[in-house]
Amino acid sequence: MPEPEPVEPALVAHQLAKDYGDLVALHPLDLVVPDGQRVVLVGHNGSGKTTLLRMVAGLLEPTGGEASVLGSPVGSIDARAALSYLPDSPVLYDDLSVLEHIEYVCRLHDAEDWERRAVALLDVLGLAGRADDLPSRFSRGLRQKTAILLGLIRPFSLLLVDEPFVGLDPPGRAAFIDLVDEASEAGATTVVATHQLDYVQQAERLIALRDGAVTFDGPPGQVDLADLVG
Amino acid sequence: MADDGSTADGSTADGRAGRALRDLRAARRRRRIAAFDPFEALYRAYVTGIVLGVAVLVLSSIIGDTRVAAPEVARIRAHGAPFVGLAVALAWAVGLRSGGRGGPLVVEAADVRHVLLAPVDRALALRGPAIRQLRFLLLVGGGAGAVAGLLALRRLPGAGAAWVLSGAAVGILGVAGAFGAAMAVSGLRLGRWVGGLAALAVLTWSSADAALRISTSPASLIGGLALWPLRVRPQEPVGAVVALVLVAVGMAVIGRSSLEASERRAGLIGQIRFAATLQDLRTVIVLRRQLAQELPRQRPWVRLRRTVPRGWLGAQTAHTGAARRRRFPVWRRSWHGIMRWPGLRFGRVAVLGAAAGLALVGVWRGTTPLVVVAGLALYVAGLDAVEPLAQEVDHPDRMAGYVVPAGNLYLRTLAAPAVVMVAAGGIGLLAAAAVTGGATLTWQLGGTLAVPAALAGLGAAAISVVKGPPPPLSPQTAMMPEAAGAKAMARLLWPPIVATLGTLPILAARDAARHHHPAWANMVPLVQLVVVLVVAVALWVRWQEEAHVWFDQQLALSGTGASAARG
Repeated sequence: MPEPEPVEPALVAHQLAKDYGDLVALHPLDLVVPDGQRVVLVGHNGSGKTTLLRMVAGLLEPTGGEASVLGSPVGSIDARAALSYLPDSPVLYDDLSVLEHIEYVCRLHDAEDWERRAVALLDVLGLAGRADDLPSRFSRGLRQKTAILLGLIRPFSLLLVDEPFVGLDPPGRAAFIDLVDEASEAGATTVVATHQLDYVQQAERLIALRDGAVTFDGPPGQVDLADLVG
Repeated sequence: MADDGSTADGSTADGRAGRALRDLRAARRRRRIAAFDPFEALYRAYVTGIVLGVAVLVLSSIIGDTRVAAPEVARIRAHGAPFVGLAVALAWAVGLRSGGRGGPLVVEAADVRHVLLAPVDRALALRGPAIRQLRFLLLVGGGAGAVAGLLALRRLPGAGAAWVLSGAAVGILGVAGAFGAAMAVSGLRLGRWVGGLAALAVLTWSSADAALRISTSPASLIGGLALWPLRVRPQEPVGAVVALVLVAVGMAVIGRSSLEASERRAGLIGQIRFAATLQDLRTVIVLRRQLAQELPRQRPWVRLRRTVPRGWLGAQTAHTGAARRRRFPVWRRSWHGIMRWPGLRFGRVAVLGAAAGLALVGVWRGTTPLVVVAGLALYVAGLDAVEPLAQEVDHPDRMAGYVVPAGNLYLRTLAAPAVVMVAAGGIGLLAAAAVTGGATLTWQLGGTLAVPAALAGLGAAAISVVKGPPPPLSPQTAMMPEAAGAKAMARLLWPPIVATLGTLPILAARDAARHHHPAWANMVPLVQLVVVLVVAVALWVRWQEEAHVWFDQQLALSGTGASAARG
């Protein structure tokens, strides 16, 4: 019987660092996130959470070190196919409806059977009646829901989420948590950066950052969160 | 699905993504066409036509109809190419600098997030927007070149069509080379320093060509094409080949452009365009600095002595020097800011000062329109120097907490910038002395004019900053569109006019010298008028707010009086 192929970690960072001249946003960081793990990033404003996520997503260029997604260098086509990034501020086209956004994103990602999944996600996120509307006329919360929908409708193995609860109403927050759970149960790795401490307990692993350096990395139950984020 | 991503119908992932991109762009184009307002478009075309027509008329009246004498034509024919090439080199240098910062391509923020992060070939995704941007720039460059050809035709011999065509060709090649160079530097990730050094090298090469009256650089060769109505040199198309190669290289490496730079530019360019439509010059300047990553230094060039000595918490007695320094908080605050300027900004102010000095030498030698160039150079330098005032104007909420009237504070913030501008004027004087061989008259005239002209530039910048953009609900909204447009234009033009007025005394000196009268003595009365102008601007900065309040009160009182009379 052949040996099963070893599974690549979902995310590997080796001495990954970012600075802006004399301002250090992230000190050299080593990190391995196994496939399928649920990770939560916490830390003060300016602690480096967003910098880390944006570098892994390929939106920021590291000034030191390197990172890979499922064995592929960040920014490569394979890494982009595997990774879905949900930023803290939704960025959408002004002149495309929700449905047109969905179709476009799914076609770019070569998603199969996306129509059925679109109907389900629109329903869960409360956007079913707004599918033909332009998100440019939406409230902040509805735009955030549209961005969440676009991040989740395409195929991915690693989901990076930055401050997902900003602007969401309680049903929206509950729906989002359910959707991340669903993705996790389907085998995806999730890394969520948040100030929402009640969400931390749902993670398998907690990483705390302060001033661009890791101050804690382990199971959430082993630490007093108030000590970490004050 | 096969390993290469192809499906049963034979289509590959890239092919499917390409179709998705094309379909999306077609859908968006259809939506734009559906929302197209022909009357709005006609109105824009009408306004643009009027502005262009006026600009061409003004330019042609400045240049005049006098035919250039035969010896001068011979000189232009023999040595004109590198001078035209300098303009091309300047465009290429701007492109190289832009490329070093991730330019010139402007991608929508949503495209960065949804297309460039998708598993599609980025070259495929970026080529369309790049071609559209290049097409527009070529149109502008070709148009500007054709107009320049028309203007040349008025004074130089040669066929009209030849001048227009060669001008358009130079404009197109200049823009194409600049765009290609920028794309190449950006795609090859050469960075800010290499981009800046390449820009400097291009300018130096072309300047050396101009100084030595030869044509060796590609920019000079392209400049030579502009003179084809006068003579044809077979080696000059090589410059065109270089420009086209740059475009090809830029397009070939387009997919490797930085996403970080693309995202930053996407946000900032959108804001700059919006600010420009509001005529908000200050916001445009601030955003442009962000785009160029021109940020204040964390560590100042020179740290001013502390107001209170180290360990002051433990000290019980006041430090006499500290007490003295506390008397000049605005002066110190201004220098704290200026000492954190990036080196580039100091360099720019110095170069603009030198440019103003050289332009005034050109005026002295007979090219009258250069007074506008000198005025504009000092105005732009003033916009940099006036930063301490601009910082206060930018934060009116903070101003409300101060115990001094706004005008008083504004005026005091101009003291340190005045020192900077005097230095810029001094650099202009040195530059003028350098090109005139240190002639006594240069020191005499320049020494008298440099400071008032520099301060007029600062005054112009202060007017621009204090006035700010037109208020959105001003009475002009009730005006006829043409009147509102004229008022907005006057608001925009007034500061550069003030800066240019500061340089006009040189014309009086030149006129006197031509009529064998003493140049300096004839210039001094006009310099005195410039000083009066500068003082008037300072008084306006100090009292404009109170004057507005008084004026509004008088209006209200007259309204009340009229109502009472009616009642």
